[in-house]
Amino acid sequence: MRRWRKAFFVWIFLCFLTGCGAHRAKRDLIVLLPDPDGKVGVVTVTTQGGSQILDKPGYAVEVEVEDLNKPPIAPHPVEEKEIADIFGPALSMLPDSGTRFILTILYFEPDTTKLTHESKDLVAEILSTIKSRRSGEVFVVGHTDLVGNEAYNTGLSQRRAIYVRDLLVSSGVKPNTLFVSFYGKARPLVPTLDEVPEPRNRRVEVIVR
Amino acid sequence: MNHNSLSLRRMFLALATIFFLLSITGEAIFADTSPIIAVVENVNGTATVVRQGRTISAKIGLDIYQYDTLRTGSDGSMGVIFNDDTSLSLGPGSMLVIDEFVFAPREGKYSIALRMVKGTVAYLSGLISKLAPESAHIETPTSSIGIRGTKFVARVEGE
Repeated sequence: MRRWRKAFFVWIFLCFLTGCGAHRAKRDLIVLLPDPDGKVGVVTVTTQGGSQILDKPGYAVEVEVEDLNKPPIAPHPVEEKEIADIFGPALSMLPDSGTRFILTILYFEPDTTKLTHESKDLVAEILSTIKSRRSGEVFVVGHTDLVGNEAYNTGLSQRRAIYVRDLLVSSGVKPNTLFVSFYGKARPLVPTLDEVPEPRNRRVEVIVR
Repeated sequence: MNHNSLSLRRMFLALATIFFLLSITGEAIFADTSPIIAVVENVNGTATVVRQGRTISAKIGLDIYQYDTLRTGSDGSMGVIFNDDTSLSLGPGSMLVIDEFVFAPREGKYSIALRMVKGTVAYLSGLISKLAPESAHIETPTSSIGIRGTKFVARVEGE
């Protein structure tokens, strides 16, 4: 009887060492972090079984490696220490955000080529960026929100882009350095249902090289 | 007269040689259809770039092309920055394939398709995610990660 008891304790001890039985499932791990400028984006993780959206910094989605038909495990917070333990070496090698391009987004009043009050002030900044960089390449890209049909919005986005181009040209930017394109309602910055007014989608992006 | 025609012939030969050389180098320049898409910014320990079957040791300033594979050894890590200002880094024991990278603002063409085979990766979005939010993806053996203008990290166990 004694002997059996001893064997039992040895078995427990061995289990403790090797973790037998408690086979830890292998999981992939995806963690959302805040951008250097404090903004937070969105990451979607999709498996054959379904998908999860990550939109809070410090939250993680896990994916079972051994069962691809399972959807990802719902987002949960991860401690900073765990992030540092797992991702420290990778994060320490992440280059600072590049500065090849400076993007400024100008917003418009609904259904017009009129800049919003806040965006008017940004035009001077764009001009000084073009000057200080002696830029030979400035991209002007027009968009609309999802109110109205495609053809109409294509036209509206074109008028917005041309309005901004003309504004820059009249302030002394060389026309042959400006490249205009426009996408109507096809490329919303904030996805919405059709016919939904969204101020952040009524925009012209100005990218200065 | 004779002397003159000789120098003319020489001149013609020299010109022909120049044209020939130009045509060779010109062709070499235009044959290079895969442009540089990124550059290595940080390296620590063992890190390599596999290009068309050749393994190149990663050094700061090394150019990266579409279809390159980035690899790090068990002691290695590396960071690159793409043409659109997207930055990406790998921790030890990692492997990432660049299936597609298109950044052509003049044509309005944007796309990032990366394949994380194993290891750890850190990612900070550049312009592509801002301009074309649906065009950046990382595939892993288990899932597809869609990226909308953000910073994130991922660990992929691999097969």
